[in-house]
Amino acid sequence: MDLLANLAHGMGVALSLNNLLFCLIGCLIGTAIGVLPGIGPVATISLLLPITFGQPATTAIIMLAGIYYGAQYGGSTTAILLNLPGEVSSVVTTLEGYKMARRGRAGAALTIAALGSFFAGTVSTVLVAASGPLLTSVALSFGPADYFSLMLLGLIIAAVLAQGSVLKSVAMVTVGVALGLVGTDVQTGQQRFTFGIPELSDGVGFVSIAMGMFGIAEIILNLERPESRSVLSSKVGSLMLTKEEFRRAVPSVIRGTALGSVLGILPGGGAALASFGSYMMERKVSKGRHEFGTGAIEGVAGPESANNAASQTSFIPLLTLGIPANAVMALMVGALIIQGIQPGPRMVEAQPDLFWGLIASMWVGNLMLLVINLPMIGMWVKLLQVPYRYMYPSILIFCAIGVYSLQNNVFDVYQTVIFGIFGYLCSKLRLEPAPMLIGFVLGPMMEEHLRRAMLLSRGDWMVFVERPISATMLAIGFVALAAMLLPSISRKKDAAIQEGG
Amino acid sequence: MSWTLRRRALLAGLPLAAIAERPALAQGGAWPSQPIRLVVPFAPGGTTDLVARLVAAGLQERLGVSVVVENRAGAGATVGSEMVARAAPDGYTLVMSNIASHGISPSVYRGRIRYDAVTDFAHIALVVSNPTVWVANPRSGIRTLGDAAAKARSAGGLDVATSGAGSSNHLMVVRMGQLIGTELNHIPFRGAGPAMQAVIAGQVPMMSDSLPSAANHIRQGSVIAVAMASAERHPSFPEVPTFREQGFDLASDSWFGLSAPAGTPAAVVERLNRETRAFLSAPEIRARLAELGGTPGDLSAEGYGEFVRREVALWAPLVQASGATPD
Repeated sequence: MDLLANLAHGMGVALSLNNLLFCLIGCLIGTAIGVLPGIGPVATISLLLPITFGQPATTAIIMLAGIYYGAQYGGSTTAILLNLPGEVSSVVTTLEGYKMARRGRAGAALTIAALGSFFAGTVSTVLVAASGPLLTSVALSFGPADYFSLMLLGLIIAAVLAQGSVLKSVAMVTVGVALGLVGTDVQTGQQRFTFGIPELSDGVGFVSIAMGMFGIAEIILNLERPESRSVLSSKVGSLMLTKEEFRRAVPSVIRGTALGSVLGILPGGGAALASFGSYMMERKVSKGRHEFGTGAIEGVAGPESANNAASQTSFIPLLTLGIPANAVMALMVGALIIQGIQPGPRMVEAQPDLFWGLIASMWVGNLMLLVINLPMIGMWVKLLQVPYRYMYPSILIFCAIGVYSLQNNVFDVYQTVIFGIFGYLCSKLRLEPAPMLIGFVLGPMMEEHLRRAMLLSRGDWMVFVERPISATMLAIGFVALAAMLLPSISRKKDAAIQEGG
Repeated sequence: MSWTLRRRALLAGLPLAAIAERPALAQGGAWPSQPIRLVVPFAPGGTTDLVARLVAAGLQERLGVSVVVENRAGAGATVGSEMVARAAPDGYTLVMSNIASHGISPSVYRGRIRYDAVTDFAHIALVVSNPTVWVANPRSGIRTLGDAAAKARSAGGLDVATSGAGSSNHLMVVRMGQLIGTELNHIPFRGAGPAMQAVIAGQVPMMSDSLPSAANHIRQGSVIAVAMASAERHPSFPEVPTFREQGFDLASDSWFGLSAPAGTPAAVVERLNRETRAFLSAPEIRARLAELGGTPGDLSAEGYGEFVRREVALWAPLVQASGATPD
């Protein structure tokens, strides 16, 4: 019953007026930056860090955490309404969410995203509280070989995930991996494919690619059509979920939460893998799988839950080991250190107010986000009724500002334009941008872990099958690949026979 | 690419314009009258960023104008540094100069960066220096550098993790290999965090890290401090022997300082040096830095300039030996 006592203690801390206020401020800011394309939590938190210096450490970290998961909530709004993903995890949300919006079910998509995230947040908060230290040992048991196999599995998922031609999706994954090679080589520090442009030495910007390939390309496509048709849907449709939609979404939310909670603990690609993995899982196992590609609610409910669960459990390595899992967490470490607190295993005993207060505030924050977001859905959806000729210049301006603010560099804006044009060409050629993006995200990580595993094993390839985690991942990947190839080969055969006949 | 060329041409014209403006500034003498930009050539969240934010908060209080931290990461901290080298030398643009941007990268990116770490800057003050510490996994059996050397000479060799290729830690690994007489198996990571995690998990037995990022893990006992790469033992970790005590002639601190574009009025540089040193001597700042394992700097502006010159010369041969060049 220690857990309950601790959680009650945390609630006491989180529910103090000051902490509650800053949690609310954090959630509001987070939602706002999530909705504004391109402006991410990293830039915002680094800007707001000085403000937190005057506050007690617990209050500061509660507000920063609020910004972080608030941004996850807000990010799905633009992904669903405008096909504009600002983060890796919301790329998946565009796939079914935007299609739902086009069918007039934007309200339902936003509602399930909010409800699913809340459920996932609740479950993973309890998980962080109950088994944080235990889960840390899971993260520690992942070696480079295991990471490589996990990423490889992710890439196979990306190819399976694509709609239409397998060949085209494999090609797009390859293009993504190739783009991911640009930049400084982690092992030797050498520059690869940068053509002497200093801005490319840290690689091509993810946000530029995501915005260009999805958002900008979509705008160009919409402008091709006469305005009457380019407005998404004159009838907004009911905001509430139908009974049928609710029934279909529940199992997806639960599956997504479970997957996200586990993958979130892994540093690096955890959260991204979680939402992609959940999408893939829903496509294969959910009852609505035949609707995927036309706006299936499972494709929103699962990944949204998964990414929220992952963003909560990604606090575990930070809180228990003092090791940040991503850039936002690194900023949190910075904020704590400036406050004179060293995050790490001792934090639980040395700073119980902070540790349990933060955990309790995660749940309070999730509740707040639900309260903030649900009534706003009606407002967001009304946005769709704004005539497109007013809408698209505003989107473009916000994208430009957002991308510029990443590095305060115009180069990123040019990059976005280039990928916008490329994305337009791709959609004309019926090439899916999603596999390219996952290739871009996973490719470089996979290379890094592969080469590290090889360095550590002195070039012995057997490490990949000798380690049980790695071997399991590879086996699942192999099965997935076989499952994907077999029907498509037989389908091609059918097509060939028909053509021949 | 025409825009890049145009931009370069524009930038080339900037120093002239700035020189023309300078007398006006000297007459006014009202520096600082507007917000000051402090460019951090790394992404937010790292040690440089952290130190910069501490300094920014301190200077803001003492100068009475806001000091805004701006992150301009990229290319071994050279992108942000180059921007400052070409900014107007009016005292309103500063850079958090550091061992990467002004010590190692000039050699790593030789011929590719368009600034000179020594002559294109008015170096202001050394803010903090952090010793490098070598840590080992408690189960690795490595307790001393002698153990490490023995393991390195054995058939399996010794894996040493670092925060990345071309970092000062990487070069330390190269240098240590030279001293032991056999190459160490350098395992670079993306940042100190993941590298430390691999050492704690036992995937890599050893790591070369800066003391602030390792200090807490040493205190918790999740890693063992094997040797401190500084001239003397560190006051916060008096039980950890230095490299020299263990028979290896290696001492290297990583450092952070404040620099402005060359041509910044001497009065401004002096004022900034004075304020920075005053801020750094405040007991609570000293305590905060000591807890992190850092030593606050106390050099004159000329002293820091000389320090940077020595560092550039020191690292050049090691960069050559490490093979860490971008081409």
